Amino acid sequence: MSRTAPRTGSGFGRLLVTVYGILAFAAIGRSSYELATKFSEAPVAYSLSTLSAVVYVVATVALAKGGPRWRVVAWVTVAFEAVGVLAVGTASVVSPEVFGETTVWSGFGQGYGYVPLVLPFVGLWWLWHTRPDTTPLAAPEAAR
Amino acid sequence: MLLPLLILVVALCAVLAGWALWFVVRDRAVILRQLFGAAAIEAVLVVQAIVAGVLLATQDHAVDGPLFWGYLATALVILPVAAFWAFAERTKWSSVVLAAAAVTVAFLDWRLWQIWGAA
Repeated sequence: MSRTAPRTGSGFGRLLVTVYGILAFAAIGRSSYELATKFSEAPVAYSLSTLSAVVYVVATVALAKGGPRWRVVAWVTVAFEAVGVLAVGTASVVSPEVFGETTVWSGFGQGYGYVPLVLPFVGLWWLWHTRPDTTPLAAPEAAR
Repeated sequence: MLLPLLILVVALCAVLAGWALWFVVRDRAVILRQLFGAAAIEAVLVVQAIVAGVLLATQDHAVDGPLFWGYLATALVILPVAAFWAFAERTKWSSVVLAAAAVTVAFLDWRLWQIWGAA
């Protein structure tokens, strides 16, 4: 890994991908457990858990890979999480009965030490920070 | 019953995390000897899995099976993946990654012990 150009998976990004990966693992574990043992109890909450788990996995891979296309995928998935944690977090506080059960994003990710709340914003900052110098999206970075 | 193993895992994780953080301060990347440390923790986790399996098979101990094994599997996967991921980076950030993984494994093992006692 001798590249010096900013890449989403190097330097600080190495830690970011690690934390994303751990959260992705936690979310997958949680959702498979919920789907396997008690899906019918709270289908909305458990579907949401599964969706968030999938998005965390895709975001982790996208941040680790970091090419021009993956960078777009990373922007979309990380932004999705930012919106998701704010929306579900707010909804879970205002009207807890909607979900019936807690999800990764309930209470703004309280059950995970608020990591799900902080992480997407750090991710967005990092994607912005490591953006390619020149404006056209595809060509220059592919040459790096 | 799993308490001594929990204490051992948490202690080893604390040592590894401290070692890695010392490397962060010194601006150094992860070295092979630290990966051997991670392997030692991994070995204790495997022993823990075997002990738990034997206890569940032979004793009348109720535990939330899927939850317990899910946490155990996650704990087992984290260090090898993180070690591989950290070692590919030759900056101090590799040491941060290893420290984060060690702390996570300690936390997971503590949760595992809770789940073991809860049922």
